[in-house]
Amino acid sequence: MKKLVALFMMAAVVAVAAKSFAAAPADTLAEVKKKGVLVAGVKDSLPPFGYIDEKTRTIIGYDIDFINAIAKKLGVKVELKPVTSASRMPQLQEGNIDIIAATMTKNPERAKQIDFSHTYFFTGQKFITKKGSMKALKDLEGKKIGTAKGSTSEQNVKKALPTATVLSFDDYPQAFLALQQGKVQAVTTDEAILAGILAKSPEKGKYEIPNVQLSDEPYGLGMRKGDKNFVDFVNKTILEMEKSGEAQKIFDKWFGPKTDFHLLRSFKITADK
Amino acid sequence: MLSYKFDWSIILTGQYHDWLVSGLKVTLQLSVAGIILSFLLGLVVAVMRMSHLKVFRWSACVFLEFTRNTPLLVQIFFWYFGSYKLLPTVVNEWLNSTSFEFAAGLIALTIYTSAFIAEDIRSGVLSIPKEQMEAAQSSGFSYLRAMQFIILPQAVRITVPPLVNQFLNLAKNSSLAMTIGVMELTYQARQVESYTFKGFEAFTAATLVYLAISIIITFLVDQYNERVLKLHKAA
Repeated sequence: MKKLVALFMMAAVVAVAAKSFAAAPADTLAEVKKKGVLVAGVKDSLPPFGYIDEKTRTIIGYDIDFINAIAKKLGVKVELKPVTSASRMPQLQEGNIDIIAATMTKNPERAKQIDFSHTYFFTGQKFITKKGSMKALKDLEGKKIGTAKGSTSEQNVKKALPTATVLSFDDYPQAFLALQQGKVQAVTTDEAILAGILAKSPEKGKYEIPNVQLSDEPYGLGMRKGDKNFVDFVNKTILEMEKSGEAQKIFDKWFGPKTDFHLLRSFKITADK
Repeated sequence: MLSYKFDWSIILTGQYHDWLVSGLKVTLQLSVAGIILSFLLGLVVAVMRMSHLKVFRWSACVFLEFTRNTPLLVQIFFWYFGSYKLLPTVVNEWLNSTSFEFAAGLIALTIYTSAFIAEDIRSGVLSIPKEQMEAAQSSGFSYLRAMQFIILPQAVRITVPPLVNQFLNLAKNSSLAMTIGVMELTYQARQVESYTFKGFEAFTAATLVYLAISIIITFLVDQYNERVLKLHKAA
């Protein structure tokens, strides 16, 4: 009986601790200005969106350039915190970070929990496979497919290929290692991420991204639900970046013809309906 | 600001409930198979460690130091990703066509835990006065037979409490197998969280299940002590 009482007391402590997460500010815009620093949750192993630069040992990438532009407009410093697909939403809701810039797809379920900015990057979910092993989606029926935990890619592929076994790893580099070792027949996620993995791979020639698309993936910056001032400010900033050509410049810097990706910009940042 | 609404119904019925149940099955499979295999392997290693033959003693020592002094997570990655480089292509192809994730997780858990079990058993054996071994051998028992009939049955009794600890650790450590895609309980709890954002409910359920597994293991071993070994009669 004593044990049971102790257990309940422990549960109570946990419950109280959970409540104290409620410290997340209601008006992030004012809060960020006051403390003089914008804390952003970003990926740190996902070129070219967010990864550690070998020379400077700092996190750089497409997502980070957007954060820098927003912080510049605000006149505050930037603090980058690495997050994973699974940890980014709780981190935001608990107030550990002010904004998510971590290749995050906008979808209705997530929009119930947090607010998204206008789409700042647009891509689609595809596969990366050993050359010649996949022509159509049905080639992967009953096969093993790797992806990252907590991503929309995982949910989409389970719907599209119910007979396949989906193995979810902690992040994409491990999923790609599993592909290299033949442990999975394909790795699936957004094309831009796959292109980044392929560009970094030492054996580029062995792999390809077949022209099979599962879904549209519009990326948004994530902010706390109902944080209207901050969302409006971020939206205004990225629309201005589109108008001034800065958004195009950032795209070309990371994905354009001078990079390993050679992607064409098929989207413009516009106000969501 | 944290407007979190608890919704326990999602883990009590429906698809997400099924996910957690399937995760529980995998956790139980890993735990039960791991406990049996690591106990057997631990016994073998303990006997080798105490053998008079230098070859056995040394190889057991190397095994123990390696497995006890490296993190389990690293060992899991070693068996899953690292073994690829060591094995011939044919074997790799065959392994990849099976559910190798589970096997790699089980191997890592078994080997890791067996090292601790071996040391627990050895300490149990060392607590039996060495005159018993001498007496046994002078009565015509070989070393192995003396171990089997005289020393080990006594040593295992003494070893039961620390062994329970190792079994409990194994059951809880099985959650690390999710890093290589084994869909056990913690993996499924995270899945439920990322689909529904109901992390508190999913992890509360997982926590209670781990607690239940641990209590059941403790209870079973207590029963074994009482019924089979006739211990704790006084208490």
